Order: sequence, then C-alpha cells, then structure tokens
Amino acid sequence: MRKIISFILGTIVALNLSVSVANAAANEVRVAFFLEWATPNQEAKVKKTFDKALGVPVKWTNFATGGEMTEAMLSGDIDISYSQGLTPFVNAVNAKAPIKLVDIAVIYGMGGTTCVAAKGIDKGNASSKLDGQKVAVPLGTMADYVFKETMRVVGADISKMKVVDMNPEDGSAAFVNGDVAMACLFGGKSIKAAKEKGASLLTVKEAQDAGIAGIDITSVTNKFLKENPGMVRTFVEVTHEANARYNAGKADMNIIAKDAAMDLAGTKKQMGGFEFPNAGTMKSKYMNKGGILMTYLEVMGNMFATSENPALKDYAAVVDTSYLP
Amino acid sequence: MITGIITFLVIFAVIGSILYGQRLAKTEKSDAVFGNPERAKGGVHWVIVGTSFLLLSWLYYSWDIAKAFYPKSANELCQVAKVNESLLSLKYLFPIEERHHKSTALIKRENINIQKKITIIQNSTDLKDKDKELFVKLLKKTQRTIPLLTDEKLLENETKDKIRDLTNRITWLTEDFQKISYPPIKSVEEENKRIEELKKQLGWGATGMEVPPLPESKRGLKFHTAAQELNKISDEFFSLRNHNPEYLKLLKEIREEIKKYKDSLDDSQELEITFIKEIKKLGQRIEYESVFPPNALDEMEKSIREFDVAQKSEQGNLIYIDALLFPAGTIVASGPTCAEDGPGRWLPKPSDTFRIFGDLLKPSVGFKMIPMIWYEMMGVNRIVGFILPDWIADVMPGKYPVHSADGTVKPNFKSKVLDVVTGEFKAFKIPVPTGHIWDSFLRVFLGLTLGIIFGVPLGLFMGLNRFAKGFFDPLVELYRPVPPLAWAPLVITVFGIDNLGKVFLLFMVSFSIMIISARAGASGTQLSKIHAAHSLGASRWQILREVIFPNSLPEILTGVRVAVGMCWGTLVAAEFLAGTSGIGFVENVARKYMQYEVIWITIFVMGMLGLLFDVTIRKIIDKTIPWRGKG
Repeated sequence: MRKIISFILGTIVALNLSVSVANAAANEVRVAFFLEWATPNQEAKVKKTFDKALGVPVKWTNFATGGEMTEAMLSGDIDISYSQGLTPFVNAVNAKAPIKLVDIAVIYGMGGTTCVAAKGIDKGNASSKLDGQKVAVPLGTMADYVFKETMRVVGADISKMKVVDMNPEDGSAAFVNGDVAMACLFGGKSIKAAKEKGASLLTVKEAQDAGIAGIDITSVTNKFLKENPGMVRTFVEVTHEANARYNAGKADMNIIAKDAAMDLAGTKKQMGGFEFPNAGTMKSKYMNKGGILMTYLEVMGNMFATSENPALKDYAAVVDTSYLP
Repeated sequence: MITGIITFLVIFAVIGSILYGQRLAKTEKSDAVFGNPERAKGGVHWVIVGTSFLLLSWLYYSWDIAKAFYPKSANELCQVAKVNESLLSLKYLFPIEERHHKSTALIKRENINIQKKITIIQNSTDLKDKDKELFVKLLKKTQRTIPLLTDEKLLENETKDKIRDLTNRITWLTEDFQKISYPPIKSVEEENKRIEELKKQLGWGATGMEVPPLPESKRGLKFHTAAQELNKISDEFFSLRNHNPEYLKLLKEIREEIKKYKDSLDDSQELEITFIKEIKKLGQRIEYESVFPPNALDEMEKSIREFDVAQKSEQGNLIYIDALLFPAGTIVASGPTCAEDGPGRWLPKPSDTFRIFGDLLKPSVGFKMIPMIWYEMMGVNRIVGFILPDWIADVMPGKYPVHSADGTVKPNFKSKVLDVVTGEFKAFKIPVPTGHIWDSFLRVFLGLTLGIIFGVPLGLFMGLNRFAKGFFDPLVELYRPVPPLAWAPLVITVFGIDNLGKVFLLFMVSFSIMIISARAGASGTQLSKIHAAHSLGASRWQILREVIFPNSLPEILTGVRVAVGMCWGTLVAAEFLAGTSGIGFVENVARKYMQYEVIWITIFVMGMLGLLFDVTIRKIIDKTIPWRGKG
C-alpha cells in the first residue's frame, strides 16, 4: 500500500515538473513543407542555401496537411511551417494557437486546388444535379474553402449534399471509382487522376473572376519569433531570393521537380499557376490594412469558426510584416 | 461550483473507501492462500477508489480544480505571462535562462562558420586561384568586423546613452512596479472605458473564450501595464545596432569589393556568384544581430534580473497556484491574447466536456448536421423493400404492364408485387435509431455477427476435417496476420466508401479471429468425451452439437471478446479514411478544427460502447458456459 502511494506521488511530481522542453539556443531550424507542391525555394533547400545563410542546419520535414503542421508546431517539433494553407492557419489561430503569419508563400488559382465534378455536371446544372449526391472534401483544408466558395458561385446547397471527409489521394480514387459525384482536391497527382473522369466545375479564369484564390503562407511559432528574429528574417529573405530567381526564369526546374517528388512537366504546369509576389507587392496589396490577405483571413475566419473556437476580432494581430525583406 | 463539490466528494470517496478496505482486510477471516482466485472476488470499494482516482486526475490535470477554486487565477496568470513574453527577447540575450550570452554564442558560431567556409574555398577544385585568394581575403575581413563590434573603446557614446537610458527605464519600472499606486490612473474616461470593456469580457473557459485577456484584478492590471512598457523597451533595444564608424567603414569596404567583383562576373559564372553571395550573407548576418562588447550590457542585465526578482515577489500566491494547480504547464501569452499551454490545452476540463457533450447530444445540434444518437421515423415499406429481394417480382408469372393508347398505365398483379418488394407502398412508420453513435455501433455489430455466422462453422469444420484444414489454412493464415488497416484502402476501393466497405473490413477482422478460436476449441475437445457419446449411440450431428460445440464455446466466446476490441480499433481507422458519419469521423473532423473537447468525447463514447459490448458478452458467458474453469 505504502509503495503504491509513494509511486503515485512520485509520478505526479514527475509529471508536474515535465514542462515542455524548450528549444534552447536554436542549434537547428526545423521547417515543415509539402511534397507535390513545387516552390522555388526548394532549389535553395537542396543546395543548402538556407543552412548557409542561417549558419545552422535546417531540418525539413514533409507533412500531408496544414493541420498536421500546426499540431507539430504546438508540440514544439517544428519552428517554421512553409506553405501552410490559409485555412489550417485560420483554424489554428481561431483555437488560440501561438503562431504568427510572417510571409506569403504561394498565391495560386484553381489550378492547384479545385473541385472536379463527374461528367454531365457543369456549373449550370450543378445546383440541381449535386443535390443528395456524395462529395469528397478534405475538411478543414484549402480545398474545403474552395468547395464552399465554388458551391456559393454555382448556387448549390451544401446542406443537401453528403460531404465525405477524405484526403485528396483517397478522394481522387473514390471519384475515379464513381463513389462520389464530385471531389475537391489539392496536389498535382490527385487532380490529374480525377480529371481523367471529369472536369473542374469552374475554370481557373472563372474562379479568379469570382474572387476564389488560394493563399499559402509561412507561419512561425511565437517562441521562435521572439528568440530568433534574425533567423526568421534570413529565412524569409532566402525564400524571396529564390522566388526572384524563379520569377526571372533562372530557377533550376529539375532540382525543384525532384525535390517535390513530381515529374518535370507536371512541376512546370503546377508552378505555372502559382504566383510568388515580391515583398513590395505583399506590403502594398496583400498584407496592408484591408489588403487581399487580410480580407481572406477575415472571410475564412468566420467561415470556419465554431462555437468553441470563434473568429478573432482582428486578424492583424496574427500577421507580422516586419520580417519581409 | 459543481466541480468544487464533486472534487470534495471524490476525495471523501477515496479516503472512505480506503479506510473501509483496510477495516475489511482486518476483520475478514479468510483462509484462502495466495494465488486462490477467491481472494480477488468482491471489492466494490476499490472500484470506487479506481474511478475516483481517474476522475481526480482528470480534474487536476485539466486544471478544472484551479478553475473551480480560483476562477480568477487564469486571468492573473495571463497578465504575468504577458510580462514574461515581453521579457523573453531581452532575457534571451543574457545567460539568465541560457548558458551563454547571445553575443557569445553567435560569435562562436560565426567564427566556426567563417573557418569552415575558408576550408571549403581552399579545397575547392573548381575555383580559380585568384578568386580563392579574394574570397579568403574577404572572409578574413568579415571576421575582422567582429572585434570592431566587441571593442569597448569603439562603442559610440550615442549607443552607450541609449543603453543607459533603457537600463534606467527598466530600473524605474522595477521601482514603480512595487508601489501600491502602480499603475497610475491616466484619466477618468480611459478608466471608465476600461471598466466598460471588462464588463463585456467572458469568463475563463466560457464558450469561445479560452483565457480572458483583459486584466480583471488590480494585480493583473499592474502586470499588464508593466508588460506594455517592457514591450516598448524591448522593441527600442532591438532596433538598436552597435554600428560604430570603424565597423561601418570596414563593412562598406567589404561591400564595395564584393560589388566590384560581382560586376566583373557574367551570368554564366554561377559558382562564383554563389560563393560571393554566401560571403555577403555571412557579413549581413553579423550586421543584423545585436552584438555588443562583453561588458557593455552588464548594467542592463542587472536591471533585468532585478525586475525579474521584483515581478516574482509581486506575484505573491500566484506562484504557488501556478505550481500546484496548473500542473505540467501554465498560461502563455501571445501578443494581446492568452492561451493554455500544457495539458490544459489538450485535456479539456470535465465541466466543459460534459457541457459540450450535452450540446452535441441535442438532436438539433449534433455534429456536422447529424445527431449523435437519435431516432427518425421510417416507413415499414422501406424496411420491407430493403429486406425482400427485387427478383421476387421477376419470377412471378405474367408480364409487366405496358402503357395504353390513352396514356395511362394500368397496374397488374406482377407490378403490384414489384411495388411491395421495392417498398413502393404506403405503410405506418416506426422509429428507428440514427446518428453517429448508432452508425458506428451498427457497423461493428454487423461485422461481428457476420464474422461469427461464417467463422464459427468454418473453424469447427477446419478443426475436424483434414481436407478443410488443409484447404482453408493457407488462405486464412495468409490474410490473418496482415493488420486490418493495411486492407482498408483496397477494401474501400472495391466496396466503396459506404457502409458496405466498412462492414466488410470488420467482417474480415472478426472472421479470422472466430475461425482460429472455433478451430482451437474443436480440436481441443477431450477424446474421451467424444468416445463416450459415440458409444452411447450418438450420431455425427449429435456429437457435433452436444459434445464438440459446447466444448469449444469457451474458446469461441473469448474469441468474440477479442474480436469486439479489434473491430472497434479498425472501425475508427476506417472512418478516418472515408467518413460521412460515425464516431471515427467525428474525431477526425474535430481534430482538424482543434476541438479537443469533442475528441475526448469521442474517446469516452468509444470506451463506453466497448465496455457495453464487453459486459454483454461477459453476461452471455456467465449464462451459457457456467462450467468454464471448473472442469
């Protein structure tokens, strides 16, 4: 009996003292990224430009969804998430996660994230044909946002559909099998596979006109920001240099394609739909008060708010432009 | 309030049960030796202790006890966290929580980096000797900028003044901070505005409010105001750079040389461009950082340490509340907002969890427009139509009616039968259960039942027949060891994302377990019993039914218990993959929206359902094989 009690007390003391281990002195920078999502800074990643510029090793870990990036940041395993979708970021800050947005990674049209509908369904008849049908959507991701916006544009009622929560790879397979009438997806391979059996509900142009665009961002944990502001600045700077190189047509596409685990043609096609604005454009058009990014944050924040995690009053508090070069 | 009462009740229950248990052990006369199962019988009071202990851990580690007894503590700790956050960058410069000065660590690292770079350049086979020489010269020059930054004599008076000014501000703040009158009231309007905003603020843990950020108490206001001042000081300090003229001169020299060299290059000389860029970055990195002479910041460090001591003593009993009632974590601030960090974040408070569970159980709310468990009225016709196969109508004599010339269709006997078997008739409605919990339950139940129906006979057959054993053995043994989840993607592709795929997956799980247990049961039957039955004139069927089957029942029922557990595990994962409803679906979606309360609710519900299944089977075991373990 006494042994049991002392064991329990010992466990309690040990648990109470186990405050999360701090990442002291930043001997390395841990960055999260996506595969199948080609970005210019992957060239810098492969050539170790980041490591050289930061003066410490950079450890890259690939993730399947932006939500998982947030989880890893909260547990202290990741310092910087590169190209996290705006939707998972909004979900995280709505849930009061201590992370901040410091940079826009990619701006992309519907080429990168889109809803593919079965043959015979187009934007004209979607509102009636999708009623009562099953649709595959990876909930809580950018594709979820695109799904909601697309349905608003074509005038379809989401509550009449049966939304199946599936990752893009599974959603694409289910769509090809005919299990679902529509699949909302991101990622080059998934979209390509799905398009063999259907077509995008909205073209890139139509989506653009309707104001649907995807924004991927760079988010950093508060702790890392406070302790290593110089490193964050350098990280953003190297990324922007790589973007400038790509925008000038000087990037080595083979390296990027290989690192993104895609073929060269697919990479070129995917990146053709991407936009990498420079710091000036970001500050004047996107991240300023009333800018595009801020509007998106607010729209999305309210779209994905739940009763426990309501939208923030002001999203400017989670955006910090001072790290842009 | 309720949480507080429950906490006391639970503590009393634990103490009472332990005392009762000790008295019982003293008074009870038991001659059972160690190892006798009799000694483990009874003991409801230990069940109470176990359950209470679980509940108590939950209450404690979710910080619900803190919330019940000190509801204002989170708000006050939030203000303390704001101070800590504003101090974070400043503290990080000094060996307060780190081992080295930040400048020390940085200089050490950069010296190594420069040395490394020099080695790389000298060993490079692709670079021209002339370039090598220039690069090494530039790097050495860059290295020479460091002593310019750390030389006390070169430190400019302006920078010195600024540091002194900031140090004084921290010292003053430390003094003011300890006064009762701090912070001074600025104006009546502002004070009124603050009170107005406070009234609108929700409490700790209210729906949509994790930790209320605006200071509610006098002590909180003190920390809140100090944090604002410290933030200003910190910002001013980090905009300060120790760039004396000597340093700037050398830096300019390096820059010009780099520029000159770069202009002489053309675009094809990629390697050289990369190297020169890296050298430039190295210099830049030193330029950006706050590097100061070794003793220049001593006064500042002292003032920060003093403030730290002062703020710790001002916290008063908050320190103890934080250490005791906020185990394994604390409240952290991020700008103007605060959040729980540690188990308080991912282990929701029991009070919140049950409140949200209550909300979810309301059929009108549910989760993603589907109730957790409820009923819907369903016509008997639909059930009939589902059960009766459609081909019944096809085999009826006659032909289906054809439309007549006047544009009407006259039903005949055959079409009327078709209406019945497809459920196209009017009938009364009966309530049937629906919702996430029911869906998951039904899937497990169907998978399990099918597994038993097919698995038990086949298992018995395999235990008794050489052909069956040999024929089915490779099949079963090949697919059985594969984790069921490995099959999931395939099964979902073949059988679709509906219930069929999931039930089939569960069937695969329970099927193999039932085969193994039935086979083990059948082959374990005592030969003497079979011989006895045979010599009494029993037929094959009778031996199977009266001897072998009852003998294998203990094994089969244990198999069912194992299968239930496996089925639940597999089901949740299958619902993760493709979900429209079910507990696993709820959990997966909740994860994406970071609704930790909902995640715990699903875990709780699954535990309860598993327990329900298990208790049922235990009852069945007690009823059907009371002789077990007594033979």
